[in-house]
Amino acid sequence: MTAAYKSVFDIIGPVMIGPSSSHTAGAAAIGHAARKIFRQVPRELTVRYYESFAETHRGHGTDYALVAGVLGLAPADPQVPNALALAQQQGLTVHFIEMAGTSPIEHPNTAILTLRAAQRTVTVAGCSIGGGTIEIRRITSDGFELTPTGPLPILLVWGAADNDQIIQEKLAKMTKIIRRQSYNTATKHLVEFDLERSLKQHEVASLQQHGADLVYL
Amino acid sequence: MQSYATIAELVAAATTANVSLSELMIQQEVANSGSSRAAVWTAMEQNLSAMAAAVKRGSTGAGVFSKTGLTGGEAVKLKQYRATHHSLAGDVMLMAVQNAIATNEVNAAMGVVCATPTAGSSGTLPGVLFMLQQRLQLTHEQMVRFLFTAGAFGMIIANNAMIAGATGGCQAEVGSASGMAAAAAVEAAGGTPAQAAEALALALSNLLGLVCDPIAGLVELPCVKRNAIGATNALVAADMALAGLTNKIPADEVVGAMKRIGQQMPAALRETGRGGLAATPTGIKMKMRIFGEERNFES
Repeated sequence: MTAAYKSVFDIIGPVMIGPSSSHTAGAAAIGHAARKIFRQVPRELTVRYYESFAETHRGHGTDYALVAGVLGLAPADPQVPNALALAQQQGLTVHFIEMAGTSPIEHPNTAILTLRAAQRTVTVAGCSIGGGTIEIRRITSDGFELTPTGPLPILLVWGAADNDQIIQEKLAKMTKIIRRQSYNTATKHLVEFDLERSLKQHEVASLQQHGADLVYL
Repeated sequence: MQSYATIAELVAAATTANVSLSELMIQQEVANSGSSRAAVWTAMEQNLSAMAAAVKRGSTGAGVFSKTGLTGGEAVKLKQYRATHHSLAGDVMLMAVQNAIATNEVNAAMGVVCATPTAGSSGTLPGVLFMLQQRLQLTHEQMVRFLFTAGAFGMIIANNAMIAGATGGCQAEVGSASGMAAAAAVEAAGGTPAQAAEALALALSNLLGLVCDPIAGLVELPCVKRNAIGATNALVAADMALAGLTNKIPADEVVGAMKRIGQQMPAALRETGRGGLAATPTGIKMKMRIFGEERNFES
């Protein structure tokens, strides 16, 4: 089984704006992951909340935390509580929907984000498992439907099959690849790597040197 | 290097190698993260500073108050009481309570805290740590090590059970924090790794079954004062372990029990704001005052 908590700083940390690590810091992390997959500020964001998130998102500041993540703010940024106003200034329309019933990704702290801009729509289903740590369990993007194991870090590589072979070799020298999953549409190819440990910024940069189109979560 | 999967493994490794639990955690973090020892140490020092700042902020002046008005200003009340009264529990115990409440009041007021392991339980560790700083004259290094030791146990609890109120109730948050603090307090006081594990087992056993029933779903009532109990329970458990008392049920089995209890707990008592204190007439009134009408859910 994959350990969801990989670092001592998942337990002692993060340093964050209160009041809830799972409903605020974790929500911000889900928003940030969605933003990375979308690669830009969307024009429209729809958030569907389930179970504990549906019941308590207003009290916990989950709304502004998710939006802060989508806008790319750090968890301890003093602007986090003002994220809804910032979104409006940046032309981002936000909708929140409280869903009845159980989470489709089987966790009580679930938020499913749909990001839209022009022709593109991306859906990211994340859950906040406690202490600010999150899992991403479903991603729909560019015709792909991904079902990662959940725990981060996850590396997504778009492009040709030979390209991700080079990346896989380099990656294997950096950390253990827990799972490799490839997805194909008629015209495109995508590989998902679930990793044992976080990559350093320079390591991600060195993977990007191969001209790969990659997203590191 | 793999992470320690159980408390028994962690204690055995420390005992065999004759090194502290905090040292093992530092070594594991360096090996697993690919970061330098200096970077890992500095990152923990920054967390310690954030914790110290929250304790100070909550205990200074009139204190801090949440937007809802449900919590705030009570760490300062305790501070004044300590200065003017002969307390029942003793001053060091109340110092721990004050530190814990100060931190969680800052959290409820949407201030900056360090989640240990969660924001809702962020007062428990600093409650114990900053009291021990004075009581045991801890050095800066010992304080940083306290956090590594607490983190080592917290990782095992989080990976083998849970640390979110939504999945395991408050026992998973304040219960885990209290166990972590108890174990780290034992190391800070010069106890053995085996005693640290006993302290965790004692502290967590005492809080098993604790539900997560926040008023209006907010991390305020009863969360702030449950951290006072988390901190004091940790100190009592640490003292019991240092005195040679044992829990009889081993720490890993207590963590397993916590997991099963969490799984058996109804959703109303897992951070939905629908059961327990949240469902009392006064709790419901507070919720209506803050949020107004009940909501309709979409399917």
